[in-house]
Amino acid sequence: MYFLDDYSGIFVRYDLKRERGEAKAVAVEDEALQQVIQCVVDGDTDNIGEVVRKALETKDPMEVINALVKGMNEVSRLWDEGVYYLPQAILSSDAMLEGIEICEEKMGKAMEKKGVIITHTAEGDIHDLGQKIVNALLRANGYEVIDLGKDVPVDEVVAAVKQYKPAMLTGTALMTTTMTAFERISKRLTREGISLPFVCGGGAVSEEYVTSFDLGIWGKDASQAPLMAADAVSGKDWRQLREKWNG
Amino acid sequence: MARYTSMAYQSADEMVFGTAKYPVKYGRDFEVGGGLVYPELVPHPRPGSEETKKSLVREYEKMVNDVLERCVQLGFPGIQVELEHVYQMTRNPDWGGEIAAATKRLMDDYYQKYGLKSAIRATIADYRKPDEENMRDSDALKNILATFEASAAAGADNLSIESMGGKEITDYAIVRQDIRGVLFGIGVLGSRDVEFLWKKIVEIANKYGVTPGGDTDCSQANVAMFMAGGYLDKSVPHTFAAICRAIAAARTLVAYEQGAKGPTKDCGYEDPIIKAIAGIPISMEGKTCACAHSDLLGNLVAAVCDLWSNEAVEYHDMFGGTTAAVFTEILGYDVALMNTAIKMGKAKDLRDMMINSDKYRDTHGFILSPDNAYEIGKAIVSNAESYYSRARAAAIKAAELMRGDSKLLLSDFEKEVLESTYKALLSLPDKEEDFIAECIPVYQKQVKGFKPSNYGL
Repeated sequence: MYFLDDYSGIFVRYDLKRERGEAKAVAVEDEALQQVIQCVVDGDTDNIGEVVRKALETKDPMEVINALVKGMNEVSRLWDEGVYYLPQAILSSDAMLEGIEICEEKMGKAMEKKGVIITHTAEGDIHDLGQKIVNALLRANGYEVIDLGKDVPVDEVVAAVKQYKPAMLTGTALMTTTMTAFERISKRLTREGISLPFVCGGGAVSEEYVTSFDLGIWGKDASQAPLMAADAVSGKDWRQLREKWNG
Repeated sequence: MARYTSMAYQSADEMVFGTAKYPVKYGRDFEVGGGLVYPELVPHPRPGSEETKKSLVREYEKMVNDVLERCVQLGFPGIQVELEHVYQMTRNPDWGGEIAAATKRLMDDYYQKYGLKSAIRATIADYRKPDEENMRDSDALKNILATFEASAAAGADNLSIESMGGKEITDYAIVRQDIRGVLFGIGVLGSRDVEFLWKKIVEIANKYGVTPGGDTDCSQANVAMFMAGGYLDKSVPHTFAAICRAIAAARTLVAYEQGAKGPTKDCGYEDPIIKAIAGIPISMEGKTCACAHSDLLGNLVAAVCDLWSNEAVEYHDMFGGTTAAVFTEILGYDVALMNTAIKMGKAKDLRDMMINSDKYRDTHGFILSPDNAYEIGKAIVSNAESYYSRARAAAIKAAELMRGDSKLLLSDFEKEVLESTYKALLSLPDKEEDFIAECIPVYQKQVKGFKPSNYGL
């Protein structure tokens, strides 16, 4: 086999030209809380339990939760700036959620969530990784996620919306022949007088298709989900979300 | 059980497009790996056409006819059409069967009228849910097997699948950069599931006298590759995705150990490694699958292919005709160039041009460059004690190749991931039983619905 010595002019490695930022945990005065923050920033799921329990010896659970959230905010910044990859964000989310669970046990009640979001993967589609990422990011941002799972029949999605009355519904699909379930869901909900933002995304799902039916908002990327949820919880309707995020 | 312990080729340089050590013949005078490359066109129905059996069959008839007509219009010698099942075709075995029968009627007609060589690959949809049902005894499995039978009986020449075993673990592991989980999901659970499934598929193929084609780790290694994406994406590190691919080769190989004959599935990017080991013909997709997804190895993956595919193109109109016809034309001319190189005695020159185009563009092209694919293949056959040992050996070899070639440029972050993943691989147990014992409690706790019994564990 013959190999070149010089590949210039054949391709350019643009990725190597990007500057890399630095991961730094927010500095707080309390050492125990600093460790909690650092654990979240590092995505250290092995040690988060121990660190949170230690902090709870002297701190109020809500103080510890605030530290966990501070850590996650830093992770969001690092991800937005391209310093962190998705795995770092997911591991940090795992660490934060584990920490919150321990705090909630101590409080004897669940912390107040920002709102309820239902997620599902379309009927006929078992590729739910995108949905799982959306779930993790929504939970990490303080939302209660009702995860209906994959290959979910239209009837079940409609029934869940009636039962849980979420601020937002999401749907994930890989194939164009499964995404047609989204339109059926939209029609059913609309017919029954239910109006809410229905964010659809994944694989071959296009903006053109999703914005062709009522309620539909196209989600380009999983990372948009918490921001869209914030809009939905703040009272923006599906038309306002579509205007902001699509087109 | 049968495991490859030697390489089909003496060296990587022996491998070239169009020729496989063990060619296969089926369909209408169709031979794959026998000295020429053929196009493999995969048409995808428009949304809405799947609503009824009648509308879907009609959609396929139109798509296949467009493909065959364009071949004849431009003088292409032969083509394979892949009927890659949308789930409606597998959930309703008669739908898949009827579409195969309609495709066969059209192909027979073009063969009789014009002598166009052709074949049908039916790829049945694996819609088992590993974390929700019994993978070895579920309604989904019964339907899948019934659809294999219906498709074979109706005229499919080649039976293939993109199997899902281990995906519940791998999905969890890929997005956490957990190489142990990937090895467990793909290398151990995936391999065991392929073994289970392919015993049954080969049995059905033999019953109907059709060719058991191949499998692909599309549901796992391709997830890692697609999430890694291009240079600007930040979802999965590219070095990590490349190591997932090497592990996938050890898994996909199991189908051929169970009796699959090839050609492999086009979306099995691990196929150059499979060809180096098993000598069977392979189908590949690269630049001509940009209609379905983007990758960073558009030319390189054609270097040792025997079928050249477009992955999947949704049926629509374009200025140049329907998408099915247009992509047939693109594939047909690509293949004509490769076959011209073969006839002119320049095949290895063209192969090397394809390789040089992409080898250092990204990590995936790097490890699938035939020279490196061959080395990964050697690591697999030299560590045949267990599915785990060979998958781990493939991963370690891929990491070593990336670490050891100064022409492969990596960002600091990618270097860190490569080093930490390599270190993690070296620290894992040597024996499969120890590895399984370590993994089961960890992933039973972390992955909801994971059932070891799905994999005979």
